[in-house]
Amino acid sequence: MKQYFKTASILAIICAVAALILASLNSVTAPVIVAYDKQQTINALNEVAHGYTLGDKVTTDSEVSPYYIPLIDEDGTVKGNILELKSNGYGGEIKLVASFDEAGLVLEAKVVSNSETPGLGKKSENSWYMTKFIGKDPIPTSKNQLSAEDNAAVSGASITFGAIAKALSEGGEYAKTLEAK
Amino acid sequence: MANKKELTKGLFKENPTFVLLLGLCPTLGVTTMVSNAIGMGFSVLFVLTLSNIMISLLRNVIPDDVRIPSYIVIISSFVTIIEMLLHAFVPSLYTALGVYLPLIVVNCIILGRAEAFANKNTVGDSAYDGIGMGLGFTIALLLIALIREVLGSGTITLFPLGEWSGVIHIPLIEANPIRVITLAPGALLVMGCIIAFNNYRDNKKASNAKRENK
Repeated sequence: MKQYFKTASILAIICAVAALILASLNSVTAPVIVAYDKQQTINALNEVAHGYTLGDKVTTDSEVSPYYIPLIDEDGTVKGNILELKSNGYGGEIKLVASFDEAGLVLEAKVVSNSETPGLGKKSENSWYMTKFIGKDPIPTSKNQLSAEDNAAVSGASITFGAIAKALSEGGEYAKTLEAK
Repeated sequence: MANKKELTKGLFKENPTFVLLLGLCPTLGVTTMVSNAIGMGFSVLFVLTLSNIMISLLRNVIPDDVRIPSYIVIISSFVTIIEMLLHAFVPSLYTALGVYLPLIVVNCIILGRAEAFANKNTVGDSAYDGIGMGLGFTIALLLIALIREVLGSGTITLFPLGEWSGVIHIPLIEANPIRVITLAPGALLVMGCIIAFNNYRDNKKASNAKRENK
């Protein structure tokens, strides 16, 4: 019994010391990470604004996007909306922001966070990846709807492509309903 | 006094990737780009060296019955430390390494060296072993990534520096890359060729030595 207690105590002490060190380090790195993530989101929103001014963020109870941000032109007319979309890729959740025009077509899109495979699904972070969806009607949801060249470019990462296509397609449909409102 | 042979054995003679065939999952996963290989290699080097030192320091304290859970706690703590540091201060590398970074916890090289070496040897020897094996792993990743990226994409991706994007383009190959090399089967093909070349070289060396002895 004494031996069991000693063994358990040593393991508990090792765990406690490890937790203490990690908690201390977390208190240093967490604010830096939060600030970086916030800046990344702001950068991404500006990148997909398509030259329009960002309106006020409107929170929603929709499953497609937790909020939308109207895109306003020089005359003050709403020309579309930015949505935050989520989907499940090969390595887990893919989060992206995308702007849609009044007809639900993609104006710009950018992957904000993902855990896809480096060299394969990670290619979705590149700006050229989204050209397969921008202005396309309907938004391609299958690799078969792409040109041979585009199909080859996304080969090896079909799940990532499917996840992004599904998110953008659902976003497009949701963007149409926003315009109707 | 630490034995410096422990430092050099991991580089070639007992290279963890090409000779011991350990840590193959991240090897196949991250070697699509040179920058990823460098990032993963140095992350493993950091975790392996520190976990070897810590496990060697505690080798007389940790009871045999709970040694594996204790090693896992120590290794996962170092992995979490490097994950937090990269996420906060080198976010581009953190993003590039993705899921492979937390998976260092279950990298066979680290647990293997803890069990086979660090818990039986002095702190100095264990530190040398960790550095040597870590460098051997980094060299192996770098070699495989270089071959795969050059042949499969026609580029060499390093880290951006000022206005330079960090990507070296190889014109002829970039226009006609061998796509299969960037996929998982390509990684296995490249590894197989390197291991075959290693075996050929070792066998030749052994037969030459035999002939000289005669």
